[in-house]
Amino acid sequence: MQSTTKIILRPWNAATLILRTTIISLIVITGYAFTTFNTRGVDFWAGVDMLGSNFQALLLSPQLKNITFVTMVHNLFITIGLGFLTTIFGAAIALGFALLAAQNLAPRWLTVIIKGLTAFIRAVPTVLWVLIFAVSAGLGSVAAVLGMTFHSAGYLIKAYAESFEEIDHGTIEALKASGANWWQIVFQAVLPSSATALLSWTFLRFEINFSTAIAMGAAAGAGGIGYDMFMASGYYLNLHEMGAFTYAVLAFAIVLEAGATRYKASLSK
Amino acid sequence: MPLLHIAQLSKRYGTDKYALDGIEFTVDTGEFVAIIGPSGAGKSTLLRCINHMIPMTSGDVFFNDTSTKALPAHTLRTHRTQIGMIFQHYNLVNRLSVIENVLHGRLGYKSTAAGVMGWYSTAEKQQAVEILQSLGLSDHMYKRCDQLSGGQKQRVGIARALIQNPKLLLCDEPIASLDPSAAKIIMDTLKDINQRLGITIIVNLHQVDVAMRYAQRIIGINSGKIVCDATPHDLTPTIIHQVYGSEAGELILDFGEQHAQA
Repeated sequence: MQSTTKIILRPWNAATLILRTTIISLIVITGYAFTTFNTRGVDFWAGVDMLGSNFQALLLSPQLKNITFVTMVHNLFITIGLGFLTTIFGAAIALGFALLAAQNLAPRWLTVIIKGLTAFIRAVPTVLWVLIFAVSAGLGSVAAVLGMTFHSAGYLIKAYAESFEEIDHGTIEALKASGANWWQIVFQAVLPSSATALLSWTFLRFEINFSTAIAMGAAAGAGGIGYDMFMASGYYLNLHEMGAFTYAVLAFAIVLEAGATRYKASLSK
Repeated sequence: MPLLHIAQLSKRYGTDKYALDGIEFTVDTGEFVAIIGPSGAGKSTLLRCINHMIPMTSGDVFFNDTSTKALPAHTLRTHRTQIGMIFQHYNLVNRLSVIENVLHGRLGYKSTAAGVMGWYSTAEKQQAVEILQSLGLSDHMYKRCDQLSGGQKQRVGIARALIQNPKLLLCDEPIASLDPSAAKIIMDTLKDINQRLGITIIVNLHQVDVAMRYAQRIIGINSGKIVCDATPHDLTPTIIHQVYGSEAGELILDFGEQHAQA
């Protein structure tokens, strides 16, 4: 004889009620929005068709027109240089401050101050820092380097400090017990133990800085391939040329990724 | 000759109850002392008060007849160089080679710059090689420490302590993470160091039978107080039950060998 009582898997409570209300409201709002778009008379399927042909022009027939291949490569290297320089500056600054921001290496009050400051630096987006530095340095590469360095340092201080905090407390204790001082412990135990972590954070930041450097080329006049892209899209309206730049950027991103993976593997061996 | 005198040592973490409460005992040069007691009795705290890894709340530790209560930073370093320490989890820098880890024991004697750069003298390197040889690790000298077994890591830990040329060796549960055969090698090594080099050894142990077999003297601690201080010979099951605060028959003990001789 089977029981006919229904077994409820998720009993109603405040949490499920809120979750379901939220999901239902989102569905209703989305549905409403789709019916009330201002399409300015453009047919939806015609729009999709146009998007398809634009992507075709961008990705399937890349072609340089206003600049030569050599100039493009040269400008790509300017962008890479901007990303590289700001990562190195940021990393150098971060290494010092991260030691003072790690709870196992510095007094608590100091770590709180430094972590608070870096949280503030990171909360303001990179582009805004570039624009803030542009007030004194003028819009251009100097402001881009300063602003990007600033944000990179804030980001890497947090990342490095957390890597330092993750190393085995016992290792530090052992060296301290043998009479080693703070600097000796940092260089003989902390840095060797966290080297791979530091490296992978730095590579990650370089990837971020590379893409920011492209945007800075267009937005802050920092030059490089970002500026070329800005000209191709906004001035010459040439999607074919835009496609060529996109592939150049993509090619470098792949090289970077492969290099980083290989280098990390050789370090952790 | 007394090497170490612990005088009314107490330690309190914050406003909790005392982790150590009026500990008092003396250790002579060349002794092999085992400290036993339940987890949380204060064994680790006691060892760490001796080399000031943990500041004491009251009392004093006399080392070589000198008070170590209020040491300035550079004297504290000198104090620590004379005391080697080995740990349950070995606490090596896993990414560095065996010999680099051993040489870390010399950092306390070096200037900041030399230590930071890892500059060691030929004599120091020679000594490291000799110690590694004596511990049977010469084949692993250039291996990274994370490639070693637990027993080998602990021997590297011992080598790092020995290169300090210590007068006293503090061992915090040195065999708690090792299998019985590796544990025996480590305990035999400690015994050998004690007898051949005359280095005083204080070792925290969980295994009462190991303490009875190797130590000349056993100090039992419970709730931060010394419960017994006796030779293995005088240690009876009743005393051990007092140390662990347990009822007779509740502990895994093997007295067969010891008391067969008695």
